[in-house]
Amino acid sequence: MEKTISFKLNGRDVSITRNPLSRLLDVLRDDFGMHGVKEGCSEGECGACSILLNGRMVTPCLIPLGAADGQEIMTVEGISATPEGDCVVQAFADGGAVQCGFCIPGMVVAAYSLLKKNPDPTDEDIRLGISGNLCRCTGYDLIVESIKLAARRGRDLWKK
Amino acid sequence: MEEVTCYIPRTLDEALEILSKDDCTILAGGSDLMVSHKRTIGVDPRFSKSVMIIRNLPEIRKIYTEGGECHIGAASTSSEIAENPLVPWHLRQAASRMGAVALRNSATIAGNIANASPKGDTPGPLYLLDARVKIRSAKESREEPVSDFIVKFREIDLKPGEMITEVVVPLSEDDFDYVFWHKVGTRKANAISKVTVSMALKFEDGGSVVRDFRVSATATGSKTNRSRDVENIIIGKEISEDLIEEVAEAFDGIISPRAMPEFRRETCRRCIRRFLSEAERRRAAGDRRKMIDTYDGYHMPGAPEVR
Ligand SMILES: Cc1cc2nc3c(=O)[nH]c(=O)nc-3n(C[C@H](O)[C@H](O)[C@H](O)COP(=O)(O)OP(=O)(O)OC[C@H]3O[C@@H](n4cnc5c(N)ncnc54)[C@H](O)[C@@H]3O)c2cc1C
Ligand code: FES
Ligand code: FES
Repeated sequence: MEKTISFKLNGRDVSITRNPLSRLLDVLRDDFGMHGVKEGCSEGECGACSILLNGRMVTPCLIPLGAADGQEIMTVEGISATPEGDCVVQAFADGGAVQCGFCIPGMVVAAYSLLKKNPDPTDEDIRLGISGNLCRCTGYDLIVESIKLAARRGRDLWKK
Repeated sequence: MEEVTCYIPRTLDEALEILSKDDCTILAGGSDLMVSHKRTIGVDPRFSKSVMIIRNLPEIRKIYTEGGECHIGAASTSSEIAENPLVPWHLRQAASRMGAVALRNSATIAGNIANASPKGDTPGPLYLLDARVKIRSAKESREEPVSDFIVKFREIDLKPGEMITEVVVPLSEDDFDYVFWHKVGTRKANAISKVTVSMALKFEDGGSVVRDFRVSATATGSKTNRSRDVENIIIGKEISEDLIEEVAEAFDGIISPRAMPEFRRETCRRCIRRFLSEAERRRAAGDRRKMIDTYDGYHMPGAPEVR
């Protein structure tokens, strides 16, 4: 059964006619070309697919398209286009947070979502904030450092 | 492959109306159902009957207090519960340690209850606090203690046409002098519990006699365990080493963990000993700090370091 589902994607009104039980992850990648939404585990464990739904970080591998009806979605593409998101992306690049890069879009979403709520996080806050995002390469230390860098550099951005 | 019907109601009345006509699978956060029904990358999950998505129904996402009870909308997420100061302490603890950030933004309380997994985290506090589920159909409304609603492993007392609309938790917080909640998982994030223990205790005003004591544990049998008989061993008495041992042994008698039974049993025994002896020590010392932790620096056998 197909249905027309409408939502806001990175600030734009969009709609799509598809099975409302399709995974939001597939819809974002295949129908909207949001390839920053990565698929790692397919079951909510790795955080590679992280997006914001109504400003809250969620994993669209666990969410059916129909649940997005009338809601607001931001993917890493939309986030990087904001001054705050750009600040995180730059800090990740400058801080050496990236190795293979597969986990990074999800990490950027997690970092953005953390700093929006808590502009001055401790190391522990950062590690908890990204604890649902797995990285096979870096050992996390440089990711944590880069998030601290983003907090420092973007001080005025996050606090506004 | 025929795709099933999917409803996305906008109001609770509409949802109940749909349920009265079509026996749907209710999908809230999807964090259990989307995993159990997933197929592969790019392929839609397959459900065997119609699905109704209730995640965004505003009427069942509210949290408020009324008549000395905390009412939690069925589709409230773990994050919303963990962040809300109106919610009793034990439940906020459990909600705040479920999964990781993203999971907590999807997982709902009714989903956690209806999933009826003995490893679910919220039933521990819900049993402890005598919480009830409010259940509605298009025609009727009823309430039932969570501990009866969860019949056994993967079985709940929900008839076709019905859904959970609210979880009601009596606010007995002020009735407790000391509280305890402990989860043993394999790691801090996205860890399904190995065991969680919830406890609460109240002394008679200004006295040393126990007025109320409660203990529940999850992941220690086919459903969450709690027994008033066990608690009654110490209620009306003063806490002593012997009674603590008696309670620990009696609780051990009601649990039936299958995997790693000795570890789970030992964890429960140690938590009970720790809580009751520390509550008595604090009472005698006039120490009114409510929250009791596991031993500082004490390491459960085989468990991750307790912070
Ligand atoms: C990565 C990961 C980590 C997890 N970590 C934890 C954890 O730490 N602790 C824990 O306890 N669980 C954990 N879970 C399991 C799961 O997230 C929880 O059980 C969650 O609360 C389920 O809620 P939901 O709304 O997502 O459920 P759904 O998948 O939407 O539904 C689950 C069940 O509840 C039924 N249901 C939902 N709402 C209603 C309603 N209103 N009325 C009647 N029936 C209803 C559904 O029909 C279904 O049978 C984890 C899951 C994942 C994927
Ligand atoms: S692919 Fe969604 S969390 Fe791993
Ligand atoms: S950089 Fe390779 S998985 Fe994180």
